[in-house]
Amino acid sequence: MVVAVILPRFPLAIAAGGRAALAEGPLALAPEPGRAPLVGEVSAAAEALGVAPGMKISEALARAPALKLIAADPVAVADAWEKVLVRLESVGAEVEDGGVGLACFEAGGLGGLHGGSLDAVVKATRSALKLPARIGAGPSRFCAVVAASQARSRRPSVVNGADQLSGAPVTLLAHNPATAKLPEQLARFGITALGQLAALPRDSVADRFGRAGIAAWELAHGNDGPLRPRRPSEPIDETLTLTESASGPQLASALELLVDRLLARSELGGRTLRAATLSAHLAEGGTWRERVVFREPLSDAFRIRTALSLRLALLPAPAQALRLAAEQFGPAAPAAEALFDDAKFRRAGRLSEAIGQLRALAGPQAALRVLLAEPDSRIPERRVVLTPYER
Amino acid sequence: MTPAVRRVGAPRPVRVCAGAGGRPLEVDGSEIVAVRESWLVEDRWWSEAPLRRRYWEVVTLAGGDLVVYRDLVGGGWFAHR
Repeated sequence: MVVAVILPRFPLAIAAGGRAALAEGPLALAPEPGRAPLVGEVSAAAEALGVAPGMKISEALARAPALKLIAADPVAVADAWEKVLVRLESVGAEVEDGGVGLACFEAGGLGGLHGGSLDAVVKATRSALKLPARIGAGPSRFCAVVAASQARSRRPSVVNGADQLSGAPVTLLAHNPATAKLPEQLARFGITALGQLAALPRDSVADRFGRAGIAAWELAHGNDGPLRPRRPSEPIDETLTLTESASGPQLASALELLVDRLLARSELGGRTLRAATLSAHLAEGGTWRERVVFREPLSDAFRIRTALSLRLALLPAPAQALRLAAEQFGPAAPAAEALFDDAKFRRAGRLSEAIGQLRALAGPQAALRVLLAEPDSRIPERRVVLTPYER
Repeated sequence: MTPAVRRVGAPRPVRVCAGAGGRPLEVDGSEIVAVRESWLVEDRWWSEAPLRRRYWEVVTLAGGDLVVYRDLVGGGWFAHR
């Protein structure tokens, strides 16, 4: 049995400073700096006034003049969501991250840990979460998600298969990335319930909606793919507080410093980086966050910097603090053999080995190099900083 | 834990005897024989931590070249090298 946990309006609750704020009146997430002027998630009060996520700000304000726009805080949301996932994992579950606000796990193996029944697993989940959540269960991920969306905040719900899915709205297909865009198209054909979709011939749905249609049809019959649990890993991150709002070359120097520091961390243990997250606190308020997945696992500071600097260029405003977090790791970088017997490569290899030994003895700050942070600054101590030595 | 940024040439406090106009006469017990240059730096006036420094490049009796400044916001004398 798969268990789905839904935390409704999670990003809005975090940005507003807590769930209690959602009851104070019509709220909506303001667009992130530099993004399209569309409102994000909305509170129940705003929804009742006709405001919907993705609506233009002008239209939202016309419908609800008292609407309060809350600055989006993707960094705080990501941190809070990570804590939620860790709490779910603390009950022994292998958790699949379905995006902020949705997590699923297989309850089968947890029975022995928490008393044998599904209710006991749900109870343990609730007590670990310490947050009001909608919890549902079903034989597949989609059944569990539908069950969770129908559940009351204190009572779990179970959807056992296609029969119990038939009355559910097609808007629930939005929870699956493959079918996220279909509900609107289906609504144009008058298909509003999953039962209507399931009753259609599979070939006809495939002809009209393609691959997404087939996926939706399978979901409507209660069939879904296996869960893909995430691999819990120890977070490794580095933060740099900038003395004043930085942009341009200052930001590039800050990134260089962060990459060197991250690669010098002993927890990395020689592993390569597969994905990293770059985030910033903006001078004008709010936060910015970008996840970068490298084409191949990297351990070279220059190549990591090059990949990250392309994303850093998207920063919509000067930053007050910059954070770089390693998210996924690849295998340890192999000691590549040089094609030709070159003294330069041998020397570099020996230097790398010596630095590694030095750091093992004296910590990541043992071997440093000079970095020109703000070479043209009028304040002498801001011109040059020391950063961990990385080839 | 993220360590603080290690800056090169971070200012260190020094004991300075100043004369008329704030001109340094003695730095950490070394007599000053010449002032090579003096300049004012004002920065971050738009922020909550404005910075105002009166810099002096001086030569000690032993021939040493020093750059010292007086912090005009928080007070105190500091040297860069």
